[in-house]
Amino acid sequence: METRLQFLIDQARKEITEITSLNELQSRKSHYIGKKSPFTELMKQLKELPKEERPEFGKKINIAKNQLQLMITEKESSLKQLAYETSLSDNIVDITMPGRRRNKGALNPINKVWREIEDVFISMGFDVAEGYDIEDEFHNFDALNTPQDHPARDLSDTFYIDNNILLRTQTSTVQIRVMENHQPPIKIIAPGRCYRNDNDASHSPAFHQVEALVVDEGISFADLKDVLNLFVKRLFGQNIESRIRPHFFPFTEPSAEIDIVCLKCLGKGCNLCKGQGWIELGGAGMVDPNVFDKLGIDSEKYSGYAFGMGIDRVAMLKYKIPDMRMLFENDIRFLKQFK
Amino acid sequence: MKISYKWLKEYIDIKITPEELEQRLTFAGIEVETIETLGEELKSIKVAKIIEKESHPNAEKLSICTVFDGEKNLQVVCGASNCAKGQCIAFAPVGSIVGNFKIKKAKLRGVQSFGMICSEKELGLSENHDGIMVLREGAEIGVNLSEYLDYQDTIFDVEITPNRPDLLGIIGVARDLSALLGLELKLPETSLPISSINISESLQLKNENSEKCPRYIARLIKDVKVEESPEWLKKRILSVGLRPINNIVDITNFVMMEYGHPLHAFDYSKLEERQIIVRNAKKDEAITALDNQKYQLIEDDLVIADSTKPIALAGIIGCQNSQITNETVDIVIEAANFLYSSVRKTSGRLKISTDSCYRFERGMSDINAKNVSDRACSLIIEIAGGSLANGTLDSFENIKEPVQVSLRPDKVRSFLSIDINDAKIIEYLENLGLKLIEQSSQKISFTIPHYRNDLTREIDLIEEIIRLHGYNNVASKLKTQNIMNKELFQLRRSVQDFLINEGFYGTVNWPFADPESLNKLKISENDLRRNFISIKNPIGKSFSVMQTTLLPNLFKNALYNINHNQKDLKLFELTKIFKKSDNISKREDFTVSGLITGKFLEIYWNSNQQEVDFFDLKGIIEDLFDYLKIEKFTMVKSKENFYQLQLGVDVLINKKIVGSFGKVDPKIAENFEIERPIYTFELNLSEINKINCFKKHTFIEIPKFPPVLRDLSILVSKDYSFEQLENCIYSTNPKVIRKIVLFDEFTGKMIDKGFKSLSFNIMFGSDTKTLTDDYIKKLFDKIVKNLKQKYNIRLR
Ligand SMILES: [Zn+2]
Repeated sequence: METRLQFLIDQARKEITEITSLNELQSRKSHYIGKKSPFTELMKQLKELPKEERPEFGKKINIAKNQLQLMITEKESSLKQLAYETSLSDNIVDITMPGRRRNKGALNPINKVWREIEDVFISMGFDVAEGYDIEDEFHNFDALNTPQDHPARDLSDTFYIDNNILLRTQTSTVQIRVMENHQPPIKIIAPGRCYRNDNDASHSPAFHQVEALVVDEGISFADLKDVLNLFVKRLFGQNIESRIRPHFFPFTEPSAEIDIVCLKCLGKGCNLCKGQGWIELGGAGMVDPNVFDKLGIDSEKYSGYAFGMGIDRVAMLKYKIPDMRMLFENDIRFLKQFK
Repeated sequence: MKISYKWLKEYIDIKITPEELEQRLTFAGIEVETIETLGEELKSIKVAKIIEKESHPNAEKLSICTVFDGEKNLQVVCGASNCAKGQCIAFAPVGSIVGNFKIKKAKLRGVQSFGMICSEKELGLSENHDGIMVLREGAEIGVNLSEYLDYQDTIFDVEITPNRPDLLGIIGVARDLSALLGLELKLPETSLPISSINISESLQLKNENSEKCPRYIARLIKDVKVEESPEWLKKRILSVGLRPINNIVDITNFVMMEYGHPLHAFDYSKLEERQIIVRNAKKDEAITALDNQKYQLIEDDLVIADSTKPIALAGIIGCQNSQITNETVDIVIEAANFLYSSVRKTSGRLKISTDSCYRFERGMSDINAKNVSDRACSLIIEIAGGSLANGTLDSFENIKEPVQVSLRPDKVRSFLSIDINDAKIIEYLENLGLKLIEQSSQKISFTIPHYRNDLTREIDLIEEIIRLHGYNNVASKLKTQNIMNKELFQLRRSVQDFLINEGFYGTVNWPFADPESLNKLKISENDLRRNFISIKNPIGKSFSVMQTTLLPNLFKNALYNINHNQKDLKLFELTKIFKKSDNISKREDFTVSGLITGKFLEIYWNSNQQEVDFFDLKGIIEDLFDYLKIEKFTMVKSKENFYQLQLGVDVLINKKIVGSFGKVDPKIAENFEIERPIYTFELNLSEINKINCFKKHTFIEIPKFPPVLRDLSILVSKDYSFEQLENCIYSTNPKVIRKIVLFDEFTGKMIDKGFKSLSFNIMFGSDTKTLTDDYIKKLFDKIVKNLKQKYNIRLR
């Protein structure tokens, strides 16, 4: 019986050493450790031994069984480590190959900058107001203090649908519509499309503008300057200063033109700014009391400012696009640049 | 903390109802969490009188009483032995509710009974079931029992914020209410009779830690009678959620609840060498507290001790060795102040939570210690008798100067933006117990009462002023505008975002059109899109009208790119289309159109390069609607002429066409000089926004039981659509069939002509149980049976 045990141990040891796969080990494990293992058989035969030898031999069997168990566990962990290492080397790929991408599109730079402008103003508490492309003379001209015989009203400048129906020439029409329907406080921007009967390298018959209007008690010229400065910095960058200088618009008093530091030379002077260091962005001013009076807003109680600029022009300045016509060609090679 | 409405009324003459009071408390910063009404269940029980009693003819133990309930005589059968003629009793008339039972007309051994004479137990008043409850002689007949017993009360459970320990007693709340409602605060009166003994001869006090115990007051009362408390006191104790124990303990609890300041009573005879020592615990000292627990102390703990042993854990809990028992004759009343941080440290370490430490941990007032000492002694003498030793033992050495705080009335007005004059500011603060010491137009100075340690700065006073003035009385100054059409704005942005994510590039075109372009699209003569708005002075014939569809411009953009050798395109434009109308607001609609041609996905090293097809486009539209949270739309064969036969779809929401998509008929594309497959869509966003069909997200319970999945492969005639088959499967059991996924479709060589093979993956689920195999099999068979009957399918 002693030899039988020794034989079993040697055989098991040999078998386990030669095993190379986890599955195989599993099946040998159940063979040696399971209910019907040869050790159990040996235990059963214990009663054939003389009584005094039984405990001693029983102990031996148990020790052998425990040793075997330990061997199997060690083998198991070494096989697992091996499998892990193999899996690592099998899965090596060329990580410089491109990833699987779902290619994204982009907005036309006009719409891209349009949304940026909206977001800057929304962050400053402005509402975005909608207007109409097809307007009447009152909202496009009369209400904005433009005299009957003003050249802007010419057919050569304005698209007409009907005698007094036209395609708006400026987003200022929205100012009028908002003030007709709302008492102050008013704090809006009105982005949108405008039209002028003009088609050459630097003029598009359809173009885009954004207009801001703020009306409330105690609104001052300083507020206009502050909001403009803040807007310019948020849209173009903290280092871009702005200034206003006197100008004329029929519906603001005082009126001003807005300049920003040349984005190309940052004020040093270059061909874009014609050596001046500043480029023109748009127009601004305090709302003329006449405009308020026409709309039934108390011009003694309320004051306000308005300013506007071309969205297309902002896009060109911001992205340094040399030719306005590119904005409307919708060449995909161009559009892809604005992802 | 629980506050009894009735108890509150003893200090302040509240005229408002409990409901109004709840509002006032909550808006004064004393948030009422729950309200409980006491005595409701006794309201249907009446005080009545037995005016006649006869024995029951058929039952020895029963008697027949005639009861007068204040209005009429009623016959009532009663089984109690103690019922007698002339008694005032608690009578439950027919229809009233006793315990959980509704009293009904009954016949007891052949005699009619109209109601019940109740015992105390039946009424839930006590455990006493020895016969009926006999009321006081001469009680007013007809009043309800709740009123007779004075049981009606409203209990507010309030949340006291940690900055206001002064509100931890009913007087504190009454004081705040008196300021709030402009009513006088009535404090209880005390009377302390002089006796023949002097405290200094009977007791010694030593305070060894005046930092942790700023004040300790001890008083001695001899010859008290420890017994059950009188009814009114028990009622008060019960009303705030405490348990009556004996008159002495009840009085200390009552005064704590009244003033918010805890006290403790010791049995004088248990004090070794008649000493009270406030000291730190000794190393290895342990106590057995009133909660029957043993606590091991450390030197950092503060104890009250006699000459040999601790008798209380300061401010937290007393020890059993000195507690008041029925044998107690002489008592010592402790009223003290303990440092909040010390109490918190010890109670936290030992995990003890008592009403006493709850209060000390929040900071009590030295001065209040004297008030509660007086009040407790006065009540004990009144209720438990005995004689109070003359004098107090008081460790207090220096009375602190009251704190002074100033405010600037202009600052109050500008900070709160309320219109309030100086006199009103002073009135509010004086009502809270602050004393005016100096007043000018720039500055008003006050001293702060001892119980308001939380008021140290101007801003604290401003807070009190607005609390009393009412947060609701601050007018809104915000001027708002509502000009933006946020929904349409957001819809446009969402569409842009979605399409960019899908790989589309946005285009911008002039919104002019050539009337000829609609002929190229074969748009019919009477179509509204031909109802152009024309420009009188256009820049050319090709730009002579305002666009009514965005497609021609997109074709132009596609052609431009194809001519520049860019043949895989996903383009869109989101802008206005125009139509004739006299109403200006109906002329312009935001519309989005898109165009796809070429490879659907860009080149990638192991993808199969596929040309765009109908289902790529349909998937985009379905995903877009998902993204826009549009749930209920339908798709039908398009009426447009420019789509290829069978490959155009009109999209409807609420039966209204909002757009279409599909493959452009090659001949139409040719009209625009494009000779490759083109797919387009056009959706009117203004219309979609107007229909307002957007789903609102609402959480749906996540299924607790795992779903079961089964595959079903069938052969079916090409005449039947996927939709028909899908509906047929669903309708077999729409509750359990959760999802149907088509995962394979093919026709061709292996399949009979005119047939197609479809494979579905069907998900079954239940909210209430795990679906058994047997159940699924039956349902599955039923689905197959239905499909066979309706569409003549064959299983594959
Ligand atoms: Zn420059």
